[in-house]
Amino acid sequence: MEKLLKKLLNYSWISMIAILLLTAYFIFNMKQNSRMETDLDKYMPHDHPAFVYSDKAESWFNINDGIIVAIENKKGIFNTETLDTLKKLTKRFQKFDEINKDDVTSLYTADNIIGTEDGMDVKRFFKRVPKTKENLQKLKESVENNEMIFGRLISVDETVTVIVAEIGDDVFTQEFYREILDVAKASETKDIKIHVAGRPIVEGTMALLGPADMKKMVPIVLLVIFLVLFITLRSFKGTLITLGVVFFSTIWAFGLMAAVGVPVYAVSTMIPVMLIAIGVADGIHLYSHLQVYINHNPDAEKREAVKDMIKFMWKPVVMTSVTTAVGFISLLTSQVYPVKYFGIFTAFGVMVAMVFSLVFLPAGIMIFGLPKAKKINKEEDKAGHSHSRLANSFAASVIKHKYVSIMATAVIVILSLIGMQKIWINSSFLEKFEKDSDIVQTDKFINEHFGGTSSVNLILDAQGKKDKFKDPEVLKLVDKMQKDVDSQLEVVGNTFSLADYINRMNKVMNADKEEFNKIPDSKDLIAQYLLLYEMSGDPENLNKVVDYDYEKLNVTFQLKSDNSKSINSALDVINTYKSDFKKYGITINYAGSGYKGLVFTDLILEGQIMSLIMSLIIILLLISVMFRSIKIGVIASVPIILTALISFGIMGFLDIPLSTTTALLSSIAIGIGIDYAVHFLEQYHYNALNTDDKMVAAQNTMAHSGRAIIYNAIVVIAGFLVLMFSVFPPNRQLGALVSLNMFTSFVGTLTIMLVLLYVSNVYFKKKKSK
Amino acid sequence: MKTLKFVVTVAIVLVTSFGASAQLTGREIIDKTYNRPAGDDQTSILTMTLINKSGQSRVRKIKQFTKDFGDMEKKIMFFMSPADVKNTSFMNWSYDNDKADDQWIYLPAIKKTKRISSDSKSDYFMGSDFTYDDLGDRKLDADIHTLLREETINGFDCYVVENVSKDDEYMYSKTVSWIRKESFVGVKKEFYDEDGDLLKILTIKKVEKISGYWVIVSSEMKNIQKNHTTKINLTDVHVNTNVPASKFTERMMMRGI
Repeated sequence: MEKLLKKLLNYSWISMIAILLLTAYFIFNMKQNSRMETDLDKYMPHDHPAFVYSDKAESWFNINDGIIVAIENKKGIFNTETLDTLKKLTKRFQKFDEINKDDVTSLYTADNIIGTEDGMDVKRFFKRVPKTKENLQKLKESVENNEMIFGRLISVDETVTVIVAEIGDDVFTQEFYREILDVAKASETKDIKIHVAGRPIVEGTMALLGPADMKKMVPIVLLVIFLVLFITLRSFKGTLITLGVVFFSTIWAFGLMAAVGVPVYAVSTMIPVMLIAIGVADGIHLYSHLQVYINHNPDAEKREAVKDMIKFMWKPVVMTSVTTAVGFISLLTSQVYPVKYFGIFTAFGVMVAMVFSLVFLPAGIMIFGLPKAKKINKEEDKAGHSHSRLANSFAASVIKHKYVSIMATAVIVILSLIGMQKIWINSSFLEKFEKDSDIVQTDKFINEHFGGTSSVNLILDAQGKKDKFKDPEVLKLVDKMQKDVDSQLEVVGNTFSLADYINRMNKVMNADKEEFNKIPDSKDLIAQYLLLYEMSGDPENLNKVVDYDYEKLNVTFQLKSDNSKSINSALDVINTYKSDFKKYGITINYAGSGYKGLVFTDLILEGQIMSLIMSLIIILLLISVMFRSIKIGVIASVPIILTALISFGIMGFLDIPLSTTTALLSSIAIGIGIDYAVHFLEQYHYNALNTDDKMVAAQNTMAHSGRAIIYNAIVVIAGFLVLMFSVFPPNRQLGALVSLNMFTSFVGTLTIMLVLLYVSNVYFKKKKSK
Repeated sequence: MKTLKFVVTVAIVLVTSFGASAQLTGREIIDKTYNRPAGDDQTSILTMTLINKSGQSRVRKIKQFTKDFGDMEKKIMFFMSPADVKNTSFMNWSYDNDKADDQWIYLPAIKKTKRISSDSKSDYFMGSDFTYDDLGDRKLDADIHTLLREETINGFDCYVVENVSKDDEYMYSKTVSWIRKESFVGVKKEFYDEDGDLLKILTIKKVEKISGYWVIVSSEMKNIQKNHTTKINLTDVHVNTNVPASKFTERMMMRGI
C-alpha cells in the first residue's frame, strides 16, 4: 500500500488529470440524470404491513390529502360578494388539471339533508348565489341547522368558509402551488382574504424548501470552511487541495447516484454535510503532519516530505475512512430506501475522499509545492517533549487532573441519560417551518376556525362480515367513540363517519327533533335510511365513509396539529375501544398520510437506533483488530458514545424532537468521533514506541494529533455554524447539532480518552513485559 | 302520440320506420327514438347490479309498474331484496311539462311514507351510473341533434347522432348515440363530461319484442372515469296488461307487492 502510494507520486500529473477527468464525467452525469424526488410517498416502504393496509384503505375510501382554501370575510360570509367568490373559486379549482372535479368540496358543492313537512330532502345549499337579504338569511339558517356542515365547511363565527380540494400523492409541484396562490390572490378584495393551507402544501413545500435552502447554504459553508482552513493551515494551496478532496468526493457521490439512476431525496442533502465534516479531517491531519515534518526539517525536499507524510499517515487515514464507511453502511439495515441510499453513497463518498487524500492530495503537493516551514526554537532542549508549550501543559494538566475528566464524564453521562428520557419523536411536517412563516400562520388560522388541518383515518374492518356496519349496536359504539375522542381531546376538532349521516337522517325524518339525533335501534331502518339517501342524495358521499358491502368503515378524526404527540394521543383514546369492537369481530386499523408519517418516522428511528448500535459494535471490533487490543477498541469508543449521548441528551433538554434529519446525526457523531480517536490513538501508539514516559507520549500526541483535531473541529464547527442562519429550521438544528457533535468529539478525545489511555497503561504495559 | 318514459328501461325507442329514408335529420332520428310506441303500461322485475372499482357489487331486485297517463307518467317500485329493505317502495310521477317530478318513499321500518325530492335530473338514480335523464327523462329539444355519419356497429346499420345540450351548465358537454336504422333502438351511447372527456358508455345488450313492442331487457352503463358499472336486467316483462290507475297511490306503496 505504502509502496503503491509512493510510486504514484512519480505520476502526479497523471493521477491529477485522471481524477479531474472522472470528476468531469460525474458532473456530466449529474447534469444529465440527476432528479430530485419531492413526492414524500416515494420515501415510504410500501411493503410494510401498515403501509399496505393504509394504501388499500386509501383506495377503498378515496382518502386523499386536501388543499384547504379558506375564504375569510371579517364582516361575515353570508353576503353575495363572498358567496360569489366561493362559487367562482370552487369552479376554478374543479377545472385544475391536477384536481378531480368530484374531489372539490365546499358549501357550493355540499349536500344539505333537510327535513321537510312530509319527508326528507337532499339538495344543494345554493346553485345561484342568493342576492336578496331574505334568501341570504335563508341560506344562513339552513347552514346553521346542519351540523354536518356548520363548523366543518363554515366556521362557527361565520367569518370563514373553506374549499377542500383533495389531490393525489404525486401531483404537487411548486408551479401548481404558485398557480393556486395566484388564483387565490386574484380573488382577494378589500374585505375578502384568501388563505391556502393543507398537508399537500406543507409536504410539497418542505420537500422543496429543505434542499433549496441547502443549495444556498452549502456554498457559504464551504466559503467559511475555506477561510478558517486557510487561517489554520496558513497555506492557500493546502486549503484549496483539502477542499478539493471534499468537493470532488461529493461530486463523485452524487455523480454515481445519477449514473445508477437513484434520485436525490431530501435526506441525500445530508451527504455533502457528512462529507464536508469527515473529508476535511484527512486533509488537516495530513497537512498537520507535513507541517510538523517541515518545521523540523526545513531543508527537506518535497518528495521526502510527502513520502514521510504518506508513511506515517496512510494507516490512520485508511483506518478512519474504513471505520466511518462501515458505520454508514450499517444504515443498510434501515427499511427506508432513501436512508439506505444515503448510507451507501455516503460510504462511497468517504472511501473516495480517502483515495483522494492519499493520491490527489500528495499529487497536488508534488505539483504545487510544499507549504512554508514555520520557525521553531530548536535550541531549547525539550528532552523529547513536544515543541508546543500549550500542548505540553494542556496534556499535563489533563492527566494531572484526571479525576476531573472522569467525574465530569460521569456527570455528563448521567445528565444525558436524564435528558434522553425527555426525547420525543416528531413526524410533524408543519413544525419544521418557521413559527411566523405563512404556512404555519395559515395553518394556525384554519385550526382556530375549523376542526383541523390534519387528519387520521380509523378503518374499522369487520373481516368480510357483510352489513356489519348497518348494525345499530355497532354504529352506536362508533358514535360513542367519536364523541368520546372529540370531548376528551382538545386537539381533536372534528370526527366524521357513517354515524353522522344516520344521526342526521334520523333527526330530519322525525320533524327535526333533537332527541332523534342518534342512531335508531332497528337495522332495517338504518338500511332504509341509507337507501333513501342513495335515492335522494349523492351516493358517492357514502363511498367515502363505508364500503359497498358495509363491512369496512372509515372514521375521520380531524386534528389541529400533525405532530406525533397529538396523533398518538388520539390513537391512545381510540385504542381503548379495541376490545369493544373485537366483541363484534371488528378490527382496528389506521390509514392516511398523518398515520403513515408517524409509522414512517418510527421506522426511521428504529432503523437508526439499530444501525447506531450495530455500527458501534462493528467499529469497536474493527478498532480492536486494527490496534490488536479490545481494550483500545473500548477506549476509542468512549468519545463516540459520549458524543451520541450528549447529542441526544441536549436534544431532550432543549425539546428538540427526533426527526428524520436529527436522527441521522448520530451517524455523524460516529463518523467524526472515530476519526479523532483513531488519529489520536495511532499517534499515541507511535509516540509510545519512542519513549518510556507516558507523559511525553501524551504531550507529543497532543502537540501533533491534538493540534490537528482542534483545527479540524474549529474548521467544521465554524462551517456548520453558518447553517444557523438558514431560513429552514431543520437545517438550523442540523448546523447546531453537527457543531455540537464536533465539539464534544474533540473535547472527549482530548480529555477523557487521553485519561483512559494514560490510566490503562496501554502500549507501555506491553513494552514492560517485553 | 302517447309517450311512455321508462325510468329504468331507457328512452331509446323503436319506431317501425316506414322507409323513412336518408333525408332524416339528427333531430328527427332522436325524435323517433324517444317517441316510440311502447304500450300504455308495463310491469317487470328489475335487477340492478352496481359494481364498484374494487369489484364489490350491490344487487337489488325490484318489482316495478309503469303507466302512461297522457301528460304524465307514473311509476311504482317495490324492493324485493336485499332483505333489510324489503317492501320499501318508491313512487315517481313525472310530467311532460317542466314541472319537477313528485317522489315518495315508503319505509316499512317506520311505516311511514315520506316525500322526497331531488334537485335535478342530473342526479344519479339510486347510486347507479344512470341519471334520471339517462333513463329517459330528457326532453327532445333540450339538445341540438346533429347526424354525424352512418356506420355499422355490432352488425347493425346505425345512425350516429351527436347531441349537444343547449344549457351550458349541463353535466354532459355532449352525448353521441348509435341508433339502429331499421328499428330506432339504441345500440350504444357515449357521454362526455364538461371538459369534453369521455365519461360513460351505455351498451344495449339485449332487446326483446314483447307483445309487439321492443323492450330493452339488458343494458350496461360503465363510468370509465370512476371504473364503476351498473347492469340492468329486466325479467318477467309484460306490456299492456291494464295495470289499474289506482296502483299508483301512497296507500298501495304501504301495502307492498
